[in-house]
Amino acid sequence: MSTRILIPVDGSAHALRAVEHALQLARLDPALELHLLNVQIPVESGHVRLFVGHEQLEDYYREEGLAALQAAAAVLQQAGQAFQQHIAVGHIADTIARYAQEMAFSQIIIGSHGRGGLGQLLLGSVARDVVNQSPVPVTVIK
Amino acid sequence: MPEILFESTFWLSVLQIIAIDILLGGDNAVVIALACRKLPEEQRRRGIFWGVAGAIGLRVVLIFFALQLLALPFLKVVGALLLLWIGIKLLQPEDDDGHGNIEGSTHLWGAIKTIIIADAVMSLDNVIAVAGAAKGNLGMVVFGIVISIPIIVWGSKFVLKLMDRFPIVITFGAALLGWIAGDMVTGDVVVKPYLADAPSWLHYVNAAVGATFVVVTGKFLASRKTAAAAPLHEIPLAANKDHS
Repeated sequence: MSTRILIPVDGSAHALRAVEHALQLARLDPALELHLLNVQIPVESGHVRLFVGHEQLEDYYREEGLAALQAAAAVLQQAGQAFQQHIAVGHIADTIARYAQEMAFSQIIIGSHGRGGLGQLLLGSVARDVVNQSPVPVTVIK
Repeated sequence: MPEILFESTFWLSVLQIIAIDILLGGDNAVVIALACRKLPEEQRRRGIFWGVAGAIGLRVVLIFFALQLLALPFLKVVGALLLLWIGIKLLQPEDDDGHGNIEGSTHLWGAIKTIIIADAVMSLDNVIAVAGAAKGNLGMVVFGIVISIPIIVWGSKFVLKLMDRFPIVITFGAALLGWIAGDMVTGDVVVKPYLADAPSWLHYVNAAVGATFVVVTGKFLASRKTAAAAPLHEIPLAANKDHS
């Protein structure tokens, strides 16, 4: 079985650093399987579903998700690296951790904004939450 | 006493109105964004503009009537009970029960109609809460709405992120609703005379009791509901082949 690596991305610069890191690993070991994942925060409440169809919501998530995946996908495409991409909906850190576990990934490589001190306190870090929640090993790229 | 409008209680109420609108108005922003998504770029901007304008107008009218109603005997007590219920509901995990049955329109008017109907249906909670916070002052309501609706429409992504990162924001909102409810009861036409001799800080005590009640009850009910985690929700991609 090949080694499956999950790289959560949100379109930010620090997510791209994680992609670059995974790309380097994949060059050393062609058996590595790279998967990009974007998580969309759910926008629908019971009320919203009264007015917006299921398909419309899925379209919306797909569009927003593909936009967030775009930069990371471009990096891998340009490097000629094979990869797959996924979009899931849910609480961000929780969904990343569960996705990695349920889809049998061997590792998560995630970027972190690297803010410390007050910035960390105010904004927190998705990466830190993933480290806390994931049963799968996590590599954090700063 | 017009000078009281320029004191801290005025601004406190305005802040409450803005907080309520942002917390309970996220739904509406989503409908606006989704209803206009299929429109061509230029029409989309007009759709959002008129949808928002219509929603603001409708909201002010609804709150105007709510303020009149709240002057009737016992209705502040009823309003307060509704607010307690809305606050507790805010703390519950989402049920998967709704069905989308209004098609996203490709016409400008269709989109605007969807936005306004949705706003009328979804803003009931908002209207009661804002009317409670405003304590009879319509000017304050208009001011709070004019400030908060643009935040909702153009900042809804940020608000969603904030709530995803810090669920405590939602608890805070529920507590605020309970606070307003507790305060509202003391202002009811029927209740007020009984409190004429009560110390002036009583309505704070009442408000604090309301806030505590909502948070404790809401948390308790929520803890009983979240037994099974929902399955992962993955969006199928049209072309998820290996890229190479």
